[in-house]
Amino acid sequence: MIEFFQILIEGALVGLVYGLVAISFVVIYRASKIINLAQGEVLVFGAFMLWTFTEGAAGVGWDIPLPVALLLTVGACTVFGVTVERTIFRPLIGQSAFTIFMAGVALLILLRGLAQLIWGAESRSAPVILPEGAIEIGPFLVNSRLLIGAIFTLVLTQALHVFFTRSRLGLRLAAVAEDHTTALSLGVSVRQAIGVAWVLGTVVAAAAAVVLLSGSILSLEVAVIGFKALPVALLGGMESIRGAPLAGLLIGILEVLASAYLDPLTNGAASGVLPYAVMIAVLLIRPYGLFGWRKIERL
Amino acid sequence: MSLTLANVDVVYNGVIQVLRSTNIEVREGQMVVLLGANGAGKTTTLKAISSLLHAELGEVTAGRITYKGKDIANADPSDTVRDGIVQVLEGRRVLGHLTVLQNLMVGAHLRSDRAAVKTDLERVYDYFPALPPLLNRTAGYLSGGEMQMVLIGRALMARPELLILDEPSMGLAPILVQQLFETIGRIKREEGLTVLLVEQNARAAIAQCDYGYIMEGGRIVLHGDREQLQGNQDVQEFYLGMSGAADRPSYRDVKHYRRRKRWLG
Repeated sequence: MIEFFQILIEGALVGLVYGLVAISFVVIYRASKIINLAQGEVLVFGAFMLWTFTEGAAGVGWDIPLPVALLLTVGACTVFGVTVERTIFRPLIGQSAFTIFMAGVALLILLRGLAQLIWGAESRSAPVILPEGAIEIGPFLVNSRLLIGAIFTLVLTQALHVFFTRSRLGLRLAAVAEDHTTALSLGVSVRQAIGVAWVLGTVVAAAAAVVLLSGSILSLEVAVIGFKALPVALLGGMESIRGAPLAGLLIGILEVLASAYLDPLTNGAASGVLPYAVMIAVLLIRPYGLFGWRKIERL
Repeated sequence: MSLTLANVDVVYNGVIQVLRSTNIEVREGQMVVLLGANGAGKTTTLKAISSLLHAELGEVTAGRITYKGKDIANADPSDTVRDGIVQVLEGRRVLGHLTVLQNLMVGAHLRSDRAAVKTDLERVYDYFPALPPLLNRTAGYLSGGEMQMVLIGRALMARPELLILDEPSMGLAPILVQQLFETIGRIKREEGLTVLLVEQNARAAIAQCDYGYIMEGGRIVLHGDREQLQGNQDVQEFYLGMSGAADRPSYRDVKHYRRRKRWLG
């Protein structure tokens, strides 16, 4: 029984970290109605930038204190997010969904190439930002990095919820998420709001990179987390900030349960397939996800 | 002069011309009504004033739109709102997934004077006493009349000087329409607002207005003050349904007569 709950805890923590990546999808989608397929690569870019300001800088004799390196990473992510939005997605506003989808695919390939060009193809170890090891909570062993990541996800979710419902900037973004023309009629700059959303999405992805990769191997392959988090975002509802961690919990727990009990019977296939199977099943019943915005129609 | 449109042309997609040399003047403190059949160009006129044409691939291609002497044709919509021009769009465009309070607060997003925003919220509740119990309700699930209150309240939260209303009575029961126009009249008086109103309910709109314009085919074909409009035979027949058509013997005659409106002659 203890083993079962240990698995559940592990799944919940991993799921909440998926939720963190999913939030970065949601923040961008709400404002721009774009599902950024390259969000995994954006996360890896954030991780490489952090590596540059820590290990990379130390390698050439610049010892940058960690808080400064983190601030520099946030700054670099801001510039990166604005650049992607301005140069690729802003000119495509009003174009068909297929055009935007293909732009996302192109961005994904472009970022992979660019990362290889700048940082090379070899794997490297990501800086240790969060404490390693496990802590004992009663009879359970909990990975401290994942625990901090999960707590961070929950705090960030609540902070973003308050931001989107209470602050002036957040309400502007919420208005843009609802309807661009109405937002314009109220004097909201839709372009600025979309720009802010991209910056926010990029910074959240970088935060997810810190949680996921602290002390781990950093390589382009990590970008696959984007495709693991996308079903979480879709399942939670593409407009729902609070839906993302909840869907993450669901997917994370199902994934570890499948990994523990079904993978031995399916040559390890079940845990990889299950998140997508659950996503398709839920979307068939609720196309807008568990907590997404249902279209309100008045007759 | 508060707002002036001088010989304004509006073209959509570079090819579809909707406004042709439109001339309108709105004096400070007036309520001006814009009447016309569907497709006459009324909403386009409003969107040209509130700088919302770009969102629909339209633009002012000729003429000038000035507000208090400043050229606002093809301006940035946020600048137009900052200048004091706020439009309530047609079709009950509440932010459907936000609460009523959040809708109202979005209206005040350009303002940093927190105390005054709070006072204005109270003023909105005073104009629309039905709103306070609904503040935490999701706006998309309100009734049509409640939505219209939210929309006008939201616009008031931006502290407009010129309030533009596009068909506020659309789809509302007659009793609600009457209450709505009474409230709009009260807001205009108490806030000292200038109001530009597009409305299909011509009788109610003309009764409230100081001045009015009739549009057809993207042009202003008639204008005058309230008495002039109410006394005009064509306005009486085509907008107020008061005489003429009912006495004519057949639809064919009516059709023939309608082709020969005096203002087109």
